[in-house]
Amino acid sequence: MVALSESGGNAAPASSTVGGPSKPRAEALSAEKPPRRNDPVPDPLPYLLDFYPQEDPKYTRIAPFFDALRKGSFTTTRCEEDGTLSWPPRVTCPVCRGDRLAWTELPRRGRLYAFSAVLGGAPLGMEQDVPFVVGLIDLEGVPLRIFSRIAHTRYEDCHIGSEVELETFPLPDGRVFFRFRPAGASSPKA
Amino acid sequence: MSALRRVALVAGGLSTFGVRAATWSELVQEAGAAAFRDIRNFSSKDVDSLFVGAAQPERLAFQSHVAPLAAELLGFEPWKILQRTELACASGQSAIRSAYAAIASGLSDVAAVVGVEKMNLPSMAEANTSMANVLDRTWDGVHGATAPPFFAMCAQRHMLEYGTTSEQMAAVSEKNHRFANTNPTAQFYSKQFTREKLLKLPMVAPPLRLGDCSSMTDGAAGVLLVAEELARKYTDTPVWVRGSGQHSHFHNLSGAGSLSTWPGLRAAAQEAFRSARAGPKDIDIAEVHDCFTISEIIEYEDIGFCAKGEGGRFALDGSSDLGGKVVVNPRGGLLGCGHPLGATGVAQAVEVLQQLQARAPAARQVQGAETALVHNLSGSANVHSLMIYGREN
Ligand SMILES: [Zn+2]
Repeated sequence: MVALSESGGNAAPASSTVGGPSKPRAEALSAEKPPRRNDPVPDPLPYLLDFYPQEDPKYTRIAPFFDALRKGSFTTTRCEEDGTLSWPPRVTCPVCRGDRLAWTELPRRGRLYAFSAVLGGAPLGMEQDVPFVVGLIDLEGVPLRIFSRIAHTRYEDCHIGSEVELETFPLPDGRVFFRFRPAGASSPKA
Repeated sequence: MSALRRVALVAGGLSTFGVRAATWSELVQEAGAAAFRDIRNFSSKDVDSLFVGAAQPERLAFQSHVAPLAAELLGFEPWKILQRTELACASGQSAIRSAYAAIASGLSDVAAVVGVEKMNLPSMAEANTSMANVLDRTWDGVHGATAPPFFAMCAQRHMLEYGTTSEQMAAVSEKNHRFANTNPTAQFYSKQFTREKLLKLPMVAPPLRLGDCSSMTDGAAGVLLVAEELARKYTDTPVWVRGSGQHSHFHNLSGAGSLSTWPGLRAAAQEAFRSARAGPKDIDIAEVHDCFTISEIIEYEDIGFCAKGEGGRFALDGSSDLGGKVVVNPRGGLLGCGHPLGATGVAQAVEVLQQLQARAPAARQVQGAETALVHNLSGSANVHSLMIYGREN
């Protein structure tokens, strides 16, 4: 369909140069969809297609975040020099660049500042979740607005200001992660 | 500023944008033929530097070290600066800004720029995965953050705070698709979209519908920038870089702020206008980053073409159309042309060159255009990059 692959005819280049006359478009516009493959998705995904962070202290210096999460507590780091509260957890302070950081507990509840839903075009490993809701959450009582999946709800049932609460969930390989859900919702088995 | 040399944009061209039956390397060759083939007095040997704008060749074409590959494909053997620039959706403008800096500083005299992206893969889920690593993959992408839900939240807040409507967003899309109908290189060159039709397209990330979103696109574009004393060797009508600005505001979405105002854009625009000794009223043409319709609306406001909150009305009343206050995205924008990440910023510069040389197709030529602005955002509108070009320096 591209001129370069066409045999015979007046093969116009599939390109346009400034100043030249407008050339005929060489590519058929019917070709809006490329041939797609439906390869089986490997499970587990290869390391560089895996979205979830490494949690083991062999790989990261913020392993305590995940240890706390496994026990149901949501934490981040605060600088002991100047009090800077960071999200996500860090190993140095962005303000003073010192490394005297302490773990601090974050509230498990907050309210939706904004939200939308992913109805298609999801990455590998998330396609089975579509449609799903995501949002920015103002955590209760701290100056942090963080982004999260909002599980166990539909876009139509969410509102700006809706109260949400933290939920943790295990990954198949033993790691743990978090997301939010409408406050008071029970967590169905994954 | 007086220590800097003046820099001219003297030539440019681009491949057809779309779902292309062509590889990354083939797109680069097409852009090379379009941009560098018919330049007066030009020899490949003149090119001392090459800047390659490419966002994700590692993920989308399984190729790194792409600057020397592009040099070989284009027939250049640069001996001053060879580099690839990556700034996600602004990778192309980043390459141009690097070429500008190299020439202005005196390190380079003749710099070629090519921007390219191959995004339509047999496995689109892999391409989508690579779009989700543009944001903070570990903390935001992991939750399913890609561009559509992020800009959907910006739209939700803008609608809530300023009363912006879906009809106003459709007006942006209709205008840019109509301009794309004048541009044979555009992905949607031969597709017609009325506002009524756009408002019936399926939701992608509510409140954004399909027609509010730019596409995954294959394409490449090239330009040539040279030092002032060489400009008239290559063309009688050079276009001058008058200024630029850039601002990085946050990366993790916890820093995104209100969503309805983009402080990084205000800061970058202020610096671009300061360095160009110009203001929003001086701009005849603006090629702005309409990755989504709401983006263009917020950009009208935060660049300063209209007051805060007036962006939707600015689109609907024709202020950004031919004959309006400023003609925005006459090329067809990202909405009409498609958005091959690395190529977009370079293709916008090609349009500005064409317009300021008064050589654009009659249907979209802005009569008497003197000054043009190019804007790209990248990621979650956390970085803004702007350049201002003029027919006169
Ligand atoms: Zn500190």
